[in-house]
Amino acid sequence: MTIRQQYTPGPASGAHVRKDRAQDGEDKWTLVLVRELRHSPEKVWQALTDPAHLREWAPFDADGSLGTVGSTVKLTTVGAPATHVTETRVTRADAPKVLEYNWGDHDVRWELEPAGGGTRLTLWTNIGHRFIAMGAAGWHICFDVLDHLLSGTPLGRIVGSEAMKFGWQRLHAEYAQQFGIAMPNWPPKTAQE
Amino acid sequence: MKIKLTSLYVDDQEKALRFYTEGLGFVKKADFSQGPFRWLTVASPEDPDGTELQLTLNNNPAAKAYQQAMFQQNQPAAMFYTDDVQADYERMKARGAVFTMPPKDVTASKIAMLNDTCGNLIQVTQLKSW
Repeated sequence: MTIRQQYTPGPASGAHVRKDRAQDGEDKWTLVLVRELRHSPEKVWQALTDPAHLREWAPFDADGSLGTVGSTVKLTTVGAPATHVTETRVTRADAPKVLEYNWGDHDVRWELEPAGGGTRLTLWTNIGHRFIAMGAAGWHICFDVLDHLLSGTPLGRIVGSEAMKFGWQRLHAEYAQQFGIAMPNWPPKTAQE
Repeated sequence: MKIKLTSLYVDDQEKALRFYTEGLGFVKKADFSQGPFRWLTVASPEDPDGTELQLTLNNNPAAKAYQQAMFQQNQPAAMFYTDDVQADYERMKARGAVFTMPPKDVTASKIAMLNDTCGNLIQVTQLKSW
């Protein structure tokens, strides 16, 4: 068995949701994910910004570096059932500490803090309430893949429908329960079999 | 091979979902997201496993230009078939739908056109028996 075949995500942990009241009166939900990595902030920073590294773990491909403030980068969602490309603007890039950009209409903020010889990585991203547990499950698996990549034992990217082969449904249910939200009817039962 | 899905550009998926369910009377079929991408479809309650209508965000210039040109030329972006266009017209109008053309007899059918509030004209067609 390859490392990839052996991979199973651990239980849902390290995530919470935040609800803010936006100016238009609608609730704005933010997913916050924290992960301790045994790697330096510099190394993690490279994995978050360099297109060649992103290709190994992130749910999108970037056509340029995300590490330069003011630059415009095209992000292509990987594994989506229809081609989806959005133009992204890097609004903050304080290497190796804080990175901010948008992914479509989602704001994405990364914070890297030195912790115990490694990095405490925090991701804030706004997602619609209905999809927030899905997002948590997807990023959870991406973070596992990132950790393996940085450790020199790459699993290969696991996103989109590929994630369904690696326990995404279980994580989705666990995060939905942790966040106290109803499970959306997705994927349909037939698609799971 | 089957025709199972047709796609419609909309300028706001949440608004479109409200229009196509509460306004038109379809039911939500699939709804999931991957990052900012959202796959959203509705189906007719009369044919829940039939053809799905995908409500796709028009977040690229080509889609926007196409949608606007079709709208300005009074071309429907989609057509739905009904057994009673007059009854559907009354029902949807009562729910606040804005018709750009009330039911009208044309060759082989009776049609009405309404604005989906998401950038499209929608035609409702009732075929006439000869």
